[in-house]
Amino acid sequence: MPNNGSAGIHNRIRRLRFDHGEMTQQQLAEGVGVTRQTIIALEADKYLPSLLLAFRLASIFGVKVEDVFQYQDAQSVTSEDDKNSKKKTEAKN
Amino acid sequence: VNPTQRVAWFNLIVVISTLFLVLALVPFLGQASLGGMGTLGLLGFSVFFYRRKPGRVLADERDGLILGRAVVIAYSVFWLAFVLAAALLAPAIFGQDGSVPVVVVQTSVFGGLIVFITVLSVATLIQYSRGTGNAE
Repeated sequence: MPNNGSAGIHNRIRRLRFDHGEMTQQQLAEGVGVTRQTIIALEADKYLPSLLLAFRLASIFGVKVEDVFQYQDAQSVTSEDDKNSKKKTEAKN
Repeated sequence: VNPTQRVAWFNLIVVISTLFLVLALVPFLGQASLGGMGTLGLLGFSVFFYRRKPGRVLADERDGLILGRAVVIAYSVFWLAFVLAAALLAPAIFGQDGSVPVVVVQTSVFGGLIVFITVLSVATLIQYSRGTGNAE
């Protein structure tokens, strides 16, 4: 059974909900036309939504899709770590 | 718990109850206990879990994906079991002049349905518990 998790895609749905008058999961679910369980799975990074749902989520918060979802692949994370460790080494020297 | 999960639990309960009923009737009715399989007709009531409620979303894209995967898994398991049973049991069950006993036909039909519904329900519930179902 596939279990792809979030596949390097993270979201700020929980943060955005609280920034929008502490919107409840149920209110958000009704706003975008999904069940509350789907919102729970999204916030836990256990489900990647369709493009349509991603746009609906962005629309309800009045932001761009990239403000809701961020993609970070394993390579970029590693290179970021490398950069940080180099900076630390340089600072020590 | 959303309607799709409720249906999965309901179907699982109906299948298990039916099996218990049939097994309980065997000492009294013998082969006729297979009539207890009629209890599987209760599966039809699962549609009532999808009654519309104002302002509530009954099923969304994630439910559809989970159910779709569960159907593929259930169909694959059913087909494997069916073909294997047909191939392995055939020499044992064919009677005089190549006839197949009625009880075997009944068992095949109900058995197939039970395998399909059980795997479908379990696969659905496992996917919900893991939170999977990516729209990819």
